[in-house]
Amino acid sequence: MASDKEKWGIAHIFASFNNTIITVTDLSGAETVAKSSGGMVVKQDRNESSPYAAMQMAANVAQAAQEKGFVGLHVKVRALGRGKQRSPGPGAQAAIRSLARAGIRIGRIEDVTPVPHDSIRIKGGRRGRRV
Amino acid sequence: MLQELKLNNTRIGVLIGKGGATKKEIEEKTGTQIHIDSEEGTATVGGEDTDKLLRAIQVINAINRGFSPERSFCLLDDEDLLLDIIDLSLVIENPRQLDRIRGRIIGKDGKAREQLEDMTDTEISIFGKTVAIIGLPEQIKPVKTAIEMLIQGIPHEAVFSFLEKKRREAKKDMISYYY
Repeated sequence: MASDKEKWGIAHIFASFNNTIITVTDLSGAETVAKSSGGMVVKQDRNESSPYAAMQMAANVAQAAQEKGFVGLHVKVRALGRGKQRSPGPGAQAAIRSLARAGIRIGRIEDVTPVPHDSIRIKGGRRGRRV
Repeated sequence: MLQELKLNNTRIGVLIGKGGATKKEIEEKTGTQIHIDSEEGTATVGGEDTDKLLRAIQVINAINRGFSPERSFCLLDDEDLLLDIIDLSLVIENPRQLDRIRGRIIGKDGKAREQLEDMTDTEISIFGKTVAIIGLPEQIKPVKTAIEMLIQGIPHEAVFSFLEKKRREAKKDMISYYY
């Protein structure tokens, strides 16, 4: 997909219900290029996971990545996973969209939520758990 | 860019539409190409504009979760709308419980669902083991809590009064934001 001149990276988006964390790395995933989390763009704690915060974060990260010469990013979305919820929080979609808006080319979008094959007992006890 | 989606067998027909009308409409409105494999039950969406591609994927997901095409096309008109899915299979222990929970959310003749939709200005679809909600992010939060309350077994009146309270709070928040 990428020619020799074009520099691609990976955007790791961790979207939980309380926060969103975006980390841009190179393709190996070992070198961090830029990062941002909810607390860096909003004042109120409850807004950390909001789509608006995620949009701002993505815009900031995109700018930082572009300055370092990245033209495109593959996206790895992750929710809490394991014993907790497996669907990404509200920030994930907004972040990807905002990345695309900022003029960054989006490669593959992958869900990397850790899903166990047999899971521990889910929190909430015998009489059911709040989803 | 290509993205592959898994579809429910019973929803493939709805996604394609009469003579391919629905599929064509999504393709035209988002500038994407959709290829549906009805034997495998997958849809492949391709397009140049990532932003619009993601929109198309959301619409297809909404249709897949039981929304009618008309209702899911509102996702194309308003960019801020989100699709949120609650998986009931994580909560239930036996099929009878699933029926009961679904019945609680839908209500008699769909009255409970309608009231939830009216009070929060969202669209709700209960399909199989999932509950899907289309709405603005700040509206989805109270609806989700309300549905969780219904799943827990809290009486409908209590849930509706909770929503009413939330609605008043949101109004207050908005007013204090402006002044």
